[in-house]
Amino acid sequence: MISQAVPPTSIYLPYLAELLRVESIAEREKLFEFKLSHGKELGHKPGQFVEISLFGIGEMPISISSSPTRKGSFELAVRAVGNVTNALHRLSKGATVGIRGPFGNGFPVDNLKGKDIVIVAGGIGLFPLRSLINYILDKRSEFGRLIILSGSRTPQERMFVNELEKWHKREDVELLETVDEGDEEWTGHVGVVTTLSSEVHIDPEKIFAVVVGPPVMYKFVVAECHKKGIPDERIIMSLERRMKCGIGKCGHCQINGVYVCQEGPVFTYAEVKKLREAI
Amino acid sequence: MENKIIEKQNMAPFVDNLINAEAEVIGPKRKDGKYAFDKLIETGELCLDYDTTLLPPKMYLFPPKETLIKFELGKEPKVEPVAEAKPLILFGVHPYDIKAIELLDVAFSTTNPDINYLSKREKAVIIGVDCLNPNPNAFCPSLGTATAETGFDLMLTDIGDSYVVAIGSSKGEQLLTKYAETREASQAELAQRNSERQKALARYKVTLNISPEELPQLLGKSWDSPWWKEKSEKCLSCGSCIVVCPTCFCFDVQDDIALNLKEGERYRQWDGCMLADFAAVAGEGNFRGDKESRFRHRMYRKGKYIWERYEKLGCVGCGRCASACLAEIASPAETFNKLKEESK
Amino acid sequence: MKAKLGFFDFTGCEGCQLEVLNFETELVELLNHVDIVNFREAKTEREDNYEIAFVEGSITRESEIPRLKKIRQQAKIVVALGACACLGGVNCLKNFRPMEENLRIVYGDAARYYDTIPARPISSIVPVDYYVPGCPIDKKEFLKVTKALLLGKRPEIPNYPVCVECKLAGNVCTFDKGETCLGPVTRAGCNAICISNGRHCWGCRGPVDDPNTNSEKEILQKHGLTVEDILNQFRIFNGYLEVSK
Repeated sequence: MISQAVPPTSIYLPYLAELLRVESIAEREKLFEFKLSHGKELGHKPGQFVEISLFGIGEMPISISSSPTRKGSFELAVRAVGNVTNALHRLSKGATVGIRGPFGNGFPVDNLKGKDIVIVAGGIGLFPLRSLINYILDKRSEFGRLIILSGSRTPQERMFVNELEKWHKREDVELLETVDEGDEEWTGHVGVVTTLSSEVHIDPEKIFAVVVGPPVMYKFVVAECHKKGIPDERIIMSLERRMKCGIGKCGHCQINGVYVCQEGPVFTYAEVKKLREAI
Repeated sequence: MENKIIEKQNMAPFVDNLINAEAEVIGPKRKDGKYAFDKLIETGELCLDYDTTLLPPKMYLFPPKETLIKFELGKEPKVEPVAEAKPLILFGVHPYDIKAIELLDVAFSTTNPDINYLSKREKAVIIGVDCLNPNPNAFCPSLGTATAETGFDLMLTDIGDSYVVAIGSSKGEQLLTKYAETREASQAELAQRNSERQKALARYKVTLNISPEELPQLLGKSWDSPWWKEKSEKCLSCGSCIVVCPTCFCFDVQDDIALNLKEGERYRQWDGCMLADFAAVAGEGNFRGDKESRFRHRMYRKGKYIWERYEKLGCVGCGRCASACLAEIASPAETFNKLKEESK
Repeated sequence: MKAKLGFFDFTGCEGCQLEVLNFETELVELLNHVDIVNFREAKTEREDNYEIAFVEGSITRESEIPRLKKIRQQAKIVVALGACACLGGVNCLKNFRPMEENLRIVYGDAARYYDTIPARPISSIVPVDYYVPGCPIDKKEFLKVTKALLLGKRPEIPNYPVCVECKLAGNVCTFDKGETCLGPVTRAGCNAICISNGRHCWGCRGPVDDPNTNSEKEILQKHGLTVEDILNQFRIFNGYLEVSK
């Protein structure tokens, strides 16, 4: 009668993971390094996410911030906004959490190989992008130019400042930063992330744009990409939804007919523009 | 498919045998002038001529609230999966609810098989009964859900003094052999079954003016219809439509902890896209923060999204939502007919 | 370290505090994690070093205002307990009459010895962190909120109408029985207890965040209620919302 047999394990059962390190990134953001207790790698791709459990508090989807090229552990960068993330921020080294995943499709790294890549990060959009950036840097020869445009609201809200500095210094990375509002000490560019566009010269024939940021940012960045001649199929974005189950059942992350946790969270703009309510 | 006859006077012993010998038997019983699936204590409670039930029988396979994991806090938390299932006989399930369960079977087994649903489903026997007194809001014939050819272990049809029993599985056949007094069905009795089913079709009051296969396309071009806003103005966002729906399977997941603040469980509970906070994300955003977009999303799920994903209809035409909706906006038939009319 | 709790009452029937005391077995278990340092209804010794204050009752006298402010100053977390504290509750019925008349009706000749002001929820005086709504509060919900606070978690109180829980309870809709109900606009969390017991919803838990009151009004009218009937229904627990608009 039934089309499928009962599976041997529960897809809702998390693995345990130990918190190895906590690092403050900004006022409301911290970076957490975890190691799965069973000793295996998480086995993720850049752009995928996990469901993190704080037992008794709840479960929450968080994008993976580290590159799979860095073995032995994985990192999640988290802004404290709700119950799970606030409780996570209270944890210290040695704590144990639950992890399910990795889930979702991830960035299409194979398609990006040999191409120039412009990464556009708005605020904590840098969290999932950091995974991709470090992936590219660890396999640098396999990719073309790497241009990073990073926008923050204020200088205090710049994420991964040390890494930004490191990327700045590299000759094979073109990093441009901006803040929406500067302060006395900020000597860099001021303006929304799209205002960096005029400083970037690209070959539209061989470039991919990878864009992650607050929903309001996408429309403007896409318009800028269009101006530069980047076609919709090569504009890649990652969408935020509240994936409760992560496995295409619970319905919370659905955009039209698409389950973001299954078909996404990474989409090309060619796909996104066909969806209503997406951005 | 093989067919037998159970005389009406032999139905009570059959049900009693099932109750006493086999498993928990769930069937439609009277409730304040309506009907509800509930555990049968004795045959007399069973109402096989019901129109529809308040809640669909899916609640026994996908309970309104269900534990997924149990945990114990500590330096090394202990976590274990929970997937409780016991043998169950769902007795007197209408064809539209059987079709709905067939959709759930696909949804919960595709891609990431769901142990909680599937283990319950495996232990469930479905004994259907043809719906001869449809709910006034039902439109099953338009969706091909007035009768079912698959999805059941046994299917009963009331033909007057007896029931024709179609055997849908070996499990069903075994139950029949073991617990019921049956005889072969004659050609005349099978003809009588067809005639009863035909007569029932004429009792449906609502008709869809479009074939279900055309719905995805119709909806595809109806996104900007003024209907969504106009009709949804009255929506109470009360969730009645999604709670009574036999095909809805969305859920929320939450943790609960005992008073010792040590042991706890993670459970899922029914949730749905018509509730205001369903598409809210962390922080402030809500991707379907208005009634219009929620109303449209539900109708698209019923007529398009589910079909495109699972090749099964997301609506079986049972009419429960229309009956439950105080604002009188929930009937998919009304919306689909309206959009069809607009598209002309 | 155990969290220190205080229970405080203003104008109300003290029924919500009684509900807390009715927990018995659960309360004993809860005392493993908390110290109740202030609870007039339950104990004589009182200390003012509480961190979490559960406040019952609405504010109906001038003298209650400084007392409430003092509680707010001391407590890290203030939880409104029950319909009176959360909404103003039934006490607000008096707001639709002149205060002098209220005093005369209640105290007659002695009216001059008393003061009274229009009744209001505690949130109209001080910021409130969390709410345990209902008349009276629901025991399970009180425990759920308390456990959440002890775990450092924001308590989740449903933001959907009673209809969800009422349907789940398997009830026949009150309207289908020829009666009327405030369930469609009232915040769930009570498991539709009144309807499950043959009554209708009176709205004691207050409205959901964005209630469709126009639609509810139309439905009530269609089921035979006049505008005045409807207002009277709403005012039983939610009169403060009406006057504060």
